[in-house]
Amino acid sequence: MSTREIFDSRIESGLLLLPTLLVSLVFLYYPTALAIRTSFFDSSFGQGDEFVGLKNYVTLLTDSGYHSSLLLSVLFAAVVVVGVIAVSLYLTFLIHEVDTGQGLYLISVIWPYALPPAVGALVFLFIVHPTLGVLTGPIEALGVDVDWFNNGPQAFVVVALAAIWKQIGYNVIFMIAAMNNVPNTLTETAELDGVTGLRRLVSVYVPIMTPTLFFLVIINTIYAFFSTFAFVDLLTSGGPSNATNILIFDLYQEGFSFFNFGVASAKSVVLFLLVGVLMFVQFRVTDEYSYYGA
Amino acid sequence: MTTVTLQNLHKEFGDVVAVNGIDLEINHGEFLVIVGPSGCGKSTTLRLLAGLESTTDGRIEMGGRDVTTVEPKDRNVAMVFQNYALYPHMTGRRNITFGMKSSGDFTDEEIDRRVTEAADTLDIADLLDRKPDAMSGGERQRVALGRAIVRDPDAFLMDEPLSNLDAKLRIQMRAELARLHSTLETTTVYVTHDQTEAMTLGERVVVMNDGQIMQVDEPQVLYDFPENRFVAEFIGDPAMNMIPVDVKDGRAIHETFDIPLPSGNGQPKSNQNGAGDAQITDGQRAILGIRPEDLHLSDPQTNDELPTIDAEVNVREPLGDSLLLHCSIGNTSCNIQAEPRMPITAGETVSVTYDPARLHLFDAETGEAFYHSELRQSTDEQAPSKLTT
Repeated sequence: MSTREIFDSRIESGLLLLPTLLVSLVFLYYPTALAIRTSFFDSSFGQGDEFVGLKNYVTLLTDSGYHSSLLLSVLFAAVVVVGVIAVSLYLTFLIHEVDTGQGLYLISVIWPYALPPAVGALVFLFIVHPTLGVLTGPIEALGVDVDWFNNGPQAFVVVALAAIWKQIGYNVIFMIAAMNNVPNTLTETAELDGVTGLRRLVSVYVPIMTPTLFFLVIINTIYAFFSTFAFVDLLTSGGPSNATNILIFDLYQEGFSFFNFGVASAKSVVLFLLVGVLMFVQFRVTDEYSYYGA
Repeated sequence: MTTVTLQNLHKEFGDVVAVNGIDLEINHGEFLVIVGPSGCGKSTTLRLLAGLESTTDGRIEMGGRDVTTVEPKDRNVAMVFQNYALYPHMTGRRNITFGMKSSGDFTDEEIDRRVTEAADTLDIADLLDRKPDAMSGGERQRVALGRAIVRDPDAFLMDEPLSNLDAKLRIQMRAELARLHSTLETTTVYVTHDQTEAMTLGERVVVMNDGQIMQVDEPQVLYDFPENRFVAEFIGDPAMNMIPVDVKDGRAIHETFDIPLPSGNGQPKSNQNGAGDAQITDGQRAILGIRPEDLHLSDPQTNDELPTIDAEVNVREPLGDSLLLHCSIGNTSCNIQAEPRMPITAGETVSVTYDPARLHLFDAETGEAFYHSELRQSTDEQAPSKLTT
């Protein structure tokens, strides 16, 4: 272990670290610890916390509504992750292949990402609103009755689409960088070999881009579980009849609508563990299949 | 028959003219080397041939077929790149077969047979199951060659394929490429900036500069009868000495020497306006070209009739097999390749003779050669030089 003496004293380096440490402690570690603690208590407004052991977790184990929310979340995350990666990859490829106006296409793909999630949700609401949406007419012309205020599966699709649409920009930024890093001669060899279009994307680019893609899978998974709250809240509020009641929204409801802080904390601990395990599995898989250049 | 013809080929990148009117015919089965300094347009020419760049103007024919606007994959050419361009995530075998499998023109048995054949030819059977990461530079280039030959293309296009290899391996691969070409006899266009590669590999060598062809000839002809100053100075290491002289009465006159120009000599190829009989006029300013190895230290023992030239030695560079002397003749600097182990020190003035059969004169302004002291033995119809006095 080599140590580099950059700072004159430990105090100086400590002081520089302090703001970050302070913010992390106050807004990350302390709430986390508190959430874990609260998950073992019966806690609500106007009453003292009462230690109940694993009772909150037992409640979750026996709550069928929670089970379906869990399943729904996993399904939602899968749809969003696969959707984001697939759509972003295809768009990136198109942008990569185009000769003129690349910058313009890139900007138009990235802009939804620049919106705050709540604004993004509202914008999307007006794109596919059952009566007012600009795309509602064209979609209905295809023979689909747009009625996602009442139709559960449709609501699920709409929230997933919104989540995908919002996250494409972020993915494209990374993917275009990775794709531009593929040596030009490989593209030219493929051209000479007659490997064209999507086959070039799938057989040549994607394998070389795997490190970036796996990184994006992980980021998108976290996004799908945690950062899609605004879409559910503003588009469907978990409805109709819990069709879009994913874990992050469910635990918010539990905590801030029903004020069951104990159960809500238990739910957030479960969500935290679930995503943690998923990350672990993904990292293991990543190491095995990624190609990290020569 | 895959004769490749380039007609008035132009390529511009914005304001930059990369290729500026190239006319060239590459014969069936020929190994043609394009050589030139960086940025001379040699790689662009190759890429135009491959179809990786579109032409600004001009025409490319392969085997009589106009391929100017044909897609790269439909030209049936294979390209070998300087950086090998192997797919890093595929094994050697996958790399070789990937293109064939994609084209769908080959059955699996056919592909297997060809891979085995190519692996034998290139001695890469043990590399087929390895990924490029686990291969050395030479091995990667061999696999890249394998990928090129399995498709049995009409032409190989090689873009500095040996430039990333170390010196020893380069020499070895050079010999292997020559052997490969004599086995396969496929039309090959090979681009390099290395004149040794150009001279050793090329059946004919194209020297390019500033997007134009300076000369196309067999390597030895290129060396012995450069058509202009550029070729004279580019081909040969150390480069040909260029000494400004006045030409008068069949003699080349310099401030420090005055040597006769042998008559009955060869005239270089006609210059561009077709005037093959560019005559030497009296008092004309010219550049005398003499290669360093054609200058000898004069031996006072032998009673040489040749006039001698006095040169002051500035730097001596023992190269092992020869001794390179950086000298000044008057105000002109000049290199002499002398016998090794000569006891000559810097600052000394030496007396130098020359090989009278190996003198060249270039126009002081255009740089075109208008006189070679030896008759060029070639099939070209050329008017013999008239050295008028």
